[in-house]
Amino acid sequence: MCGIAGIFDPALPAEALGSRIKHMLAFIGHRGPDGAGYVVDDGFAMGTVRLAILDPGAGAQPFGDPSGRYWLCYNGEIYNYRELKAELKGLGCRFSTQCDTEVVLNAWITWGPDCLTRFNGGFAFALYDSETGDVFLARDRFGKRPMFYARRGDTLLFASEMKAFLAVPGFEFEQDTDQLSSILGQWTPLPDQAGFRGIENLPMGQWLSFRNGVLTTRTYAELRFGEGPEVASEADALDLIRVRLMRSVELRLRSDVEVGVYLSGGVDSAIVAGLAKDFASKPLSTFSVEFEDAEFDESEDQWLVSDYLGTRHHAQRITHADIAHQTPDAIYHAEVPAFRSAFVPMYILSKRTQAEGIKVILSGEGADEAFLGYDLFKETLLRDAWDRLPDDVRRSRLQKFYPHLAHYGPEDIAAVTGLYHQFSKETMPGLFSHELRFQNGRFSARLMKDPGEPFAAISRLVVSEQEGYADLSPVEKAQWLEYKTLLPGYLLSTQGERMSLAHGVENRCPFLDPDVFALATSVNLKFDDGFTEKRLLREAFRSQLPDRIIDKRKFPYRAPDAAAFAAERPDYLDLILSDTELAAIPFVNAKFAQRLANKVLNRPASEISTKENQTFLYLLSICLLNRTFVRREGLRAPKLPPLEKVINLKQQVETYSSQGNARSLT
Amino acid sequence: MEKIRHFIEEQFLIEFDESFPEDSDLFKEGVMDSFGYIQLIRFLEQEFDIKFSEAEITGGVMVSLPQIEQSVAQKIAGRAAE
Repeated sequence: MCGIAGIFDPALPAEALGSRIKHMLAFIGHRGPDGAGYVVDDGFAMGTVRLAILDPGAGAQPFGDPSGRYWLCYNGEIYNYRELKAELKGLGCRFSTQCDTEVVLNAWITWGPDCLTRFNGGFAFALYDSETGDVFLARDRFGKRPMFYARRGDTLLFASEMKAFLAVPGFEFEQDTDQLSSILGQWTPLPDQAGFRGIENLPMGQWLSFRNGVLTTRTYAELRFGEGPEVASEADALDLIRVRLMRSVELRLRSDVEVGVYLSGGVDSAIVAGLAKDFASKPLSTFSVEFEDAEFDESEDQWLVSDYLGTRHHAQRITHADIAHQTPDAIYHAEVPAFRSAFVPMYILSKRTQAEGIKVILSGEGADEAFLGYDLFKETLLRDAWDRLPDDVRRSRLQKFYPHLAHYGPEDIAAVTGLYHQFSKETMPGLFSHELRFQNGRFSARLMKDPGEPFAAISRLVVSEQEGYADLSPVEKAQWLEYKTLLPGYLLSTQGERMSLAHGVENRCPFLDPDVFALATSVNLKFDDGFTEKRLLREAFRSQLPDRIIDKRKFPYRAPDAAAFAAERPDYLDLILSDTELAAIPFVNAKFAQRLANKVLNRPASEISTKENQTFLYLLSICLLNRTFVRREGLRAPKLPPLEKVINLKQQVETYSSQGNARSLT
Repeated sequence: MEKIRHFIEEQFLIEFDESFPEDSDLFKEGVMDSFGYIQLIRFLEQEFDIKFSEAEITGGVMVSLPQIEQSVAQKIAGRAAE
């Protein structure tokens, strides 16, 4: 895992770009503390900060081909690199390292952009053709690894994290009010949104070319459902689930450094840990967050899984003070507004993981989306069938939803049924499954003085983005939306890789394997009605884990939200309470913001609704992002990892015969 | 009835005015969610000493301030007639 950055500026010679790219890389040094390297040419520079995982001694970047024409800065892992390498060898390619970086470079040279569909992994990379001056950027199909870019006149900037742009003279960050409104409405950025004006997020499954000043993007992987094998019986489905997940975990254990597992206390990460343990030559290291606040704590189940599997378990206890004090740093790494505080404990956990000497972890992300684990999917099934069901069935099904929300209990279920009645017909074309969520999003959008139409962008996305969307079932549409919003826009990024890479830890997700996804979407709802979440996945592993874990209801991973800030009152709350501070952000509806903050911070937690908690976290994160990125206050000094490779193509006369020797060739 | 207006404005952090008219659908505008709806029902029952039937709660009629006020007025009138 690494971080990459680059700059294309035809006005600048190679000599002038060296210090600039180093400065950009220093801002993302946390992503790759093992070493930095860069290549410069007239008008172009790019570089990598590297977390060395495969063939650590030979994988210094940028990585060039023997002719010195092509250069690659690469972030992530291609898990099927050995198989691709064998295929490329058969086509005449020669290799000098054991790194997947070299496989990616040769795959691109051999197959061009068609190589992307062959890759099974989480990756983002930049490739420079020094002969033509063309630049290519690409990103994996699920959006595991990030790639942001920005055009300023003739200049193109790109980086794994936007904070690299802080190093560019004259570059100013400005929060994009239309995008903020959209983010507030739907919980997360859309695939192309970054939250700042003029910065683009390269969507998952796309590649970009920059040629003669013309920027073009192409989609190479769309999200298609039901493309897995024909499965005749439930027994066959369970077998296939076991086989494909085992293979997925095996592929993701390919590493020259030790791999650990994050245990949430739920069934998904327990399955991953159980499979990983079978491949491990020594006791598996597992990591978890525990909460002082019992409402959020799953430590009993985490320890149960650890004891059952015999793992070396590390538990990180999280207090209100931890959340309140670490939020500014965690938001700096997240870079986009967050709707809950649950990413902050993951920031703290990755620090612990790094301290324990683990650089790579596996986790259970992606299981709920693939195997229908969220109540959202059941809710969609129920609302879709609403008019055909008698009232007592509606009510009994509703009562089983959202066990962490007390008002879904028997006392208030009549009122909840009344609410659902309001939402039994589609009113937002293509967005039926998410209408309840989005109505709550309208509340959050009131943080904006002029919220405009928060759902204009996502409405455009579902009608224009993918052919065939309209033909998907309501549940498949719900899945599609989750794969385009909450999963990449929060779970994999803000709560996932941005937090783990803040401390040089790479996360890998076995449930985001294309074969696992294809299988899951081909067997879902084929052997059951969908009202027992992830039933097939659970049954597939029933004999391998304690029943208590297999049968455990989905317990959403959450952390104390506003309550943590109300208890600790950190100084920076002035950002959302003071007239002067709020006035510095002209697009925020200061009156609403203050009313909300005062209610949330002063009333008992039991009186604060989920949407008020969410809106509070949005407000806080928008103000913290404004302070750090727009006003550049409280920025930490960037730190460049040890420089291990520098290539100046204008001075280079040697032949690149050996990648291992191609160090410091200026 | 002013109490209902005041409760909604305080509880849901809104102000009824030209930009947010009284007949706005409180669900559709994202003002009231399931949690808020339950808070509202409890408030109305306590404040006006009335009891809504399940059919009234689930009937989907109390979505705006005028409708809520009308429902409460009918309940109070019904109670007086008993």
